[in-house]
Amino acid sequence: MRRVAVSGIGVVSPLGNTVAEVWSHARAGRSGVRRLEMPFSNRLAAPIAATATFDEGLDIEPGKARMLDRFSLLALFAANQAVQGARGALEGIDRERAGVFVGTGMGGTLTMDGGYQTFYGEQSDRIKPFTILMGMHNAAAAWIGIEHGLRGPNMTYSTACSSSTVAIGEAWMRVACGQLDVAIAGGSEAPLSPGSMKAWEALHTVATMDVENPAASCRPFSKNRSGMVLGEGAAMLVIEPWDRAVARGAHLYGEILGYGQSNDASHITRPSVEGQAAAMNAALRAAGVDRQEVEAINAHGTGTQANDRTETAAIRAVFGARADRIPISATKAMHGHLLGAAGALECVLSLLALQHEVALPTVHLQMPDPDCDLDYVANTAREGLAAQVMLSNSFAFGGTNAVLVLRRAAREGRTATRQQSSLPARHAGATAGCGAAP
Amino acid sequence: MTTTFQRLSAILVKDYKFQPERLMLDTPLESLGIDSLGTVELLWNIEDAFRIKLPSEPVELPTLGDVVRFIDELAARQSAANVPKLTRHSALQAE
Repeated sequence: MRRVAVSGIGVVSPLGNTVAEVWSHARAGRSGVRRLEMPFSNRLAAPIAATATFDEGLDIEPGKARMLDRFSLLALFAANQAVQGARGALEGIDRERAGVFVGTGMGGTLTMDGGYQTFYGEQSDRIKPFTILMGMHNAAAAWIGIEHGLRGPNMTYSTACSSSTVAIGEAWMRVACGQLDVAIAGGSEAPLSPGSMKAWEALHTVATMDVENPAASCRPFSKNRSGMVLGEGAAMLVIEPWDRAVARGAHLYGEILGYGQSNDASHITRPSVEGQAAAMNAALRAAGVDRQEVEAINAHGTGTQANDRTETAAIRAVFGARADRIPISATKAMHGHLLGAAGALECVLSLLALQHEVALPTVHLQMPDPDCDLDYVANTAREGLAAQVMLSNSFAFGGTNAVLVLRRAAREGRTATRQQSSLPARHAGATAGCGAAP
Repeated sequence: MTTTFQRLSAILVKDYKFQPERLMLDTPLESLGIDSLGTVELLWNIEDAFRIKLPSEPVELPTLGDVVRFIDELAARQSAANVPKLTRHSALQAE
């Protein structure tokens, strides 16, 4: 197994459209949730969302931009930014050993919603000729592959709220086992169509609006939490073998040590302590990391009653009494729930938190909950936390749980290497696909 | 008087966000990122803006000049066809 570095990051999100911007807003605990003004928003019980401010024409040929749903535009923007930041990661590569791995929960739902509105609402037969091409879930990955000429595996994962954690994990596996030399991996979501928001409302999982302060509507782990707030955005990573990145003199954002998955196999929405704990344990096994080494966690932390209570119990089940001493950040309170892009954005925030030695805050934690009794870094970032290893949790409807194990790049960074022998060869399960490696 | 090319260019600048200087009669649609499916969508905009009725069969229009000629021919044909039925209104308004 090869060590795997993250050498490029691209983001477009409710917290900003550059790594620096996102980091500065997250560290300050600034919320990207706002009151939503759009057609049909008066029909929503809670017209709030975490929106990305994004000039759709940015860097993209206008004629081409018309062929991309917003989720593809966001994905392409983030991927281009990541590639640019990775300085030369795609130069001189064998293009067939370069892949794209994208997670999305709802794909081109804005386009599909618009098509239905045309057909049913306006009684018109003029459905946009590009509707299918814009709506299909693999459009974002396809456009990234086209833009950068990457002819290896071009994969799209749709496992609801864990989609992009799965995408990053699967990409990690291919790079780690030698099948690929570089991958662009992450997630994208643009779910803020009236029809889709109404459907989420019907599921009774979205937060009621804090009328005094709509930005504070999502309150993970707080007793008065009332649900999640939908968000839009994309986050993409360039991942490649550690040695290659170091040899190129690339900036290293950190290391992906492993990833694990599990399925609750119990209920389509109700989370399971056993399932979530199994994913964390699988990730630790894949990474060859002892649970004692985990020093911080980015929680799934949606702000629903069920998730936060269950996740607390799952973390306790994995870490025992030590769970009390692990800082846990639920950043969705700031950036909303980006569904299929959430895991990728949270992976980015985790890598930045490790790099800057900060535990990000769980904002709007106003009221302690006896069922959520861990250290959630309430309301204010904690500086000076020199964690080395961190988990990023993503759990999903459908019961598909996925967890990444991330490691901070050493401060001397670019040339620092970990002894390969310190990485135990305990990758059973997560490396099942490696048999196919050339 | 505004020409067909000027009206077409106005659509491409306003709805498609193209820089006007990129738009010439000999500009290939492909070079603007408008492929065959994109042409179908563009023709819908043209149908509305020029108030002409498009034929149902597909047409091949490689350049902006070809689009202009296509619009002018259709407008002329449909205007002529509508003239006998019209008394006080122009063909364009009637359509």
